[in-house]
This record gives sequence, C-alpha cells and structure tokens, in this order.
Amino acid sequence: MGVIEEVFSIDLPVGEQFRIQRCRYTPTGGETSKRISIVSGIHGDELEGQYVCFLLGEWLRAHADKIKATIDIYPAINSLGLDSITRSVPFYNVDLNRIFPGSKNDFLPAQIADGVVSAMRGSEIAIDIHSSNVFLREIPQVRIAKSQAKMLVPLANKLNIDFVWVHDAVTVLESTFAHAMNTLGTKTLVVEMGVGMRLGKAYGHQLLEGILNLMACEGFLDIEPLDVRMPIQSHVGEVAYLNASCPGLFVPAIEHCQMIEKGSIVGAIVDPLSGQTLDEVIAPIGGILFTLRAYPIVYEGSLVGRIFGEKV
Amino acid sequence: MKRIEIFNFKSPNRAPLKVEGFLFGEESKGPSVAIVGAMSGDHINQLYVASRLVEYLRQKEEEGKISGKILVIPAINSYALNMGETFWPLDKTDINMMFPGYAQGETTQRIAAKLFEALQGFNYGIILEGRRDQGMCLPYVKLIQSDYEDIDSARDLGMRFIHFRPYSPIETVMLQYNWQLWGTKALSVVFGKNGSIDPVSSEEVHGALVRFMVKRQILDTAVFEGFVSNIIEPESIMLLKASRAGIFDSLVSCGTTVSKGDTLGRITDALSGEKLEKIIAPIDGVLTCQYAHPLIFQNSIAFRIASVEPKKSITKSK
Ligand SMILES: [Zn+2]
Repeated sequence: MGVIEEVFSIDLPVGEQFRIQRCRYTPTGGETSKRISIVSGIHGDELEGQYVCFLLGEWLRAHADKIKATIDIYPAINSLGLDSITRSVPFYNVDLNRIFPGSKNDFLPAQIADGVVSAMRGSEIAIDIHSSNVFLREIPQVRIAKSQAKMLVPLANKLNIDFVWVHDAVTVLESTFAHAMNTLGTKTLVVEMGVGMRLGKAYGHQLLEGILNLMACEGFLDIEPLDVRMPIQSHVGEVAYLNASCPGLFVPAIEHCQMIEKGSIVGAIVDPLSGQTLDEVIAPIGGILFTLRAYPIVYEGSLVGRIFGEKV
Repeated sequence: MKRIEIFNFKSPNRAPLKVEGFLFGEESKGPSVAIVGAMSGDHINQLYVASRLVEYLRQKEEEGKISGKILVIPAINSYALNMGETFWPLDKTDINMMFPGYAQGETTQRIAAKLFEALQGFNYGIILEGRRDQGMCLPYVKLIQSDYEDIDSARDLGMRFIHFRPYSPIETVMLQYNWQLWGTKALSVVFGKNGSIDPVSSEEVHGALVRFMVKRQILDTAVFEGFVSNIIEPESIMLLKASRAGIFDSLVSCGTTVSKGDTLGRITDALSGEKLEKIIAPIDGVLTCQYAHPLIFQNSIAFRIASVEPKKSITKSK
C-alpha cells in the first residue's frame, strides 16, 4: 500500500494550509533512488489526470509485489483550484504552468512551483497529465519541444497514446513544469487528453495501460510490457489549425477524433439572434481531427479544431 | 485631437469591443510617442491616468503646444473593465501575454496583433502597467534588457527608480519586449494597486509623462525637474517576507525612508487575534513596495526595500 506524504505546506491566512500531497509506493525492500513521478492538477480545471492517478493507485494496491522502484503519485498540485473549478492559482490569478521553476523568494504561485520542483527533483521520469481546457477536447497525445525530441519521443511511444506532437521550442514555454524538470534531468512527458471539467473513462483506461507499459519497459514494474498502440508521429505530416472566422455559436457536424477528408464540413458557426448560419468550418486538409471545440461560444479567432494530415 | 478607432472586434452576443485612440499633433513636426493604458480589467489606475492625460493634451493642443505626435490608447480590454474581470472574459487569457500577436491565431493573439500594428513606427512607447501580484508600490520605470532598450529616454521621466533587469521567459510575449525589438524605445511605468485609483501615484505618473514629452521635444511647456533616477538592479532590492499567515497591518507607506530597526508591519492570527509577528526593517533604505491585501499568506513578500548601499556594484551585463 502507498504511503501518503505531505511534500509542501504553507499557511493560508485563516486557519488552513495549502498543501501538496503524494502517495508513494515502494518495493517490499524499501525506497529506491530510482523513481518516477505521476503528476496531475497543475491546472485546477483539468480532471482527467485525477482519474488516471486513481486507476494507477488502485492497480498498485492490488499488485504491490510487482513494484521494483519508487512510484510517486501527485494527483492535485493546484489543490485550491481543483476544489473550486479554478484553472489558475486562486487569489493570484496566475497560471501555475507559466511560473516554473519558481522561487522561495517570490509570491505564493512561485513558491508552489518551487515546492513541486523540490519534491520531484531526482525522479528519472515524470508524466504530467493535462486535459486541454474547458474549450477543447483532445485525443490522448504527448507534446514535446523539438530540442527534447530525441530523448523523449521513444518514451512517449510507450504511453499507448494516439499522437506525438513535436513542436518548435518557444521561449515562453521555458516557464512550464516540463521544461523545468527536463532541465534538471528528469525526462518529463506532457500528456494532453480529454476536456476540462469533465472526465472520459475510456481515455483514463487507455493511459493507465500506457503508464503500466512504460513502467514495465523502464524497470519500475516487474510485469511483461503491454501490447500498446503506436502513436501517429507529427514529423511525417503537418498540423492545420481551424480558427473561427466570426463570432457566434459553433455547432460541430462530426464526432471527435475521426478521419476527415479535405473539404468536408467540421461544423457551422450560427447566429442565435437572426437564425442565420454565418460560416461553415471546412477542413483545409485531410487527416485526423485530433482537437475539436467543446465549448460552443466562439469569437473571431477561437480555435475550433486541429487536423493532422499529410503535408500539402 | 483626433478620436480614432484602433480596431473593432465583434462578440457573439455583446456589443462590439471598440478600442479607441486619441491622436495629437503631427509626425512631421517632431518625435512621436504612443501611450498604452489598461490591457487588464483591473488596471483602473492606468485607465485613469491615460484618460486624464487625453484631457490635458487636448488643452495643450488648443494652446498650440504639441510639437510632435502623440497617441494615447486609454483602454484595450474594456470588456474586462466592464465586468470586473482581469483578463479576456471568455478564455481568461492575458492580452499582454500575446505579443507580437498573430493575425491568424486565437482571439487575444488577434487583438494583440491589431494593437501592435497600430503601435508601429513610434519613436517612444510607454506602457502603463499594473502589478502582477497583490502589492502596491512607489511608481517606477520597468525597463527590461532586450539589447534594444534605451535607458536615456527612461531617465527623462524623472521618476525616482528605474528597475533595470534581464527579461524572464514570459516577458518575451509581453508588449515591452516586442515593441523594443520592433524598433520603438519602449518602457513600462508600473504603479498603483490593481482595481483602485491612488491619487498621489496618479499625480506623480502624470507629471512624469508630461516631463518625458517635454524633454523629448514632443510637447512645449514648462515643467519642474524630476528625480535623477536611481537605477535599481534586482540585487539591490531587499525582500522582507511574512513568516506567518494572518491579518496584515502595514504601518508605513510606499516611498518612506526607513531605518534599520523600524517596525514596518504586524501580523496577527486571523482567528485568535494573537500577535504573531512584527516585521522590522533590517537595513536602511526606501520602501518601494508592500503587500496590499489585509490577509497575508505565509512567506509572502510583505515589503521591498531599495537599499541605499547596494550589495553589488551596478554594471550592465550584455
Ligand atoms: Zn493543463
């Protein structure tokens, strides 16, 4: 059984502590320096990772004899946000994933970030599970900065996900948890799947299998590797962004995560007041629709979908 | 004065977002400056200073005193101002984290792109900024070292302190950095307490903006001299933290000269009323910032003191 530990605590003004807890599973022989960290809830409106943490904990409780190295589960980093549907750090209104590596000498969000890094520093691998936000639904995917691709893509391929997206490095992303941990030598994978404020059971089970497989391959579990799917690799094609051309109500025409042909209709933007259809969103390329808008209100520019397809 | 529409952005159900600018003088006559007000819905002090400046410049133009070109945009995010939000009301993104903008991108990237386009070609750029935390501070100039920054023009504001420091990753998507890279001598004036108007700071910033325009030959009027600005690098600021959480009482105001041993603030237990902590100045200096919410978190920065004797000599690193 796992041991629940508090890794960071700070007093809030009125009779409460902000805390970060983890559940640590160790082999029967005791703790090992080899360890992996499973992380969720850096954004308080993303819950898919919480379900994966539960499923993994449930599996580990039932298979304690299979554990070969230390496994830490951190389901709730932004605990204030999770319990109040707040994406950012409440009160400060700061995106925790834009403040890493943080600092002990700065405001609360930076101290939380510093506490997270201190707790996980030294892990061999970290898996940071996000679920997009309330606006978009994503198929299970891992996003990797180009500079890290060589090291991280082989690891991502073990996670039973559908898509590995290698993107160009952007300076602003140097303030993310993943960048901070990769810089410290922890191989950190960022998973995006599902939609904010909801949970999808199927995706949770899919990622659980991937995490078990990765842990089997990397020497954390004494089990046979699982038979997992090979993700589509972004370098073989291109990503097309579908942004709303006008404000209105976006009504999707198709299901999420399906193959789509060039020129087909992804959805319509309609005007509830006049009863007019303002625009049709057309697929500019053929391929797989891996992102689809879940929240119907759109402004000009709002992302309504992303398609991965062959280079045009 | 010309009242111009910078851009107009439609909403699904609300009246369109109309961003307006006020234009004075002509480019051919002299140097140009653009002044940007509230990019967030809680930057009310910034809105106040900008709109007051518009009224001041309107009078000066009637008197024939404008010798360059001046553009003032008091509010960008009026959607947030009109509903007590901080960021873009739908997706909660910060417009000042979207520069240089992207015309084919997400909503706030498009808004940033339209604004950025309107800000091109000015000799000088001044961003009226609020703080990014719960503090309040003595108004100061924030100048980041992008390699294109211009400290000489920053001195012409005559403000007491210029915080001069390397940029952090998130600043690469903020307006100041991008404006500098695109060739405008851009700086930020940071002041006030978010969500409120401080008359003393507002007066000081108004005076500094007018002084800047006079010194840079954009405006022709008589002004008092300001401060010979002290250049402050991060190492010459001392942070005083609250070791306990609770109810916070400050006994001083920003700008006060403090001596080692002075009591600056007190923290009491929010439930029992027990006295938990006295925050004492450990050095001599000037109080530049303080926590400005009555409830304080453990380890929050309660005060910042600019030390009169910097720990390190101040040199610019390139
Ligand atoms: Zn997230």
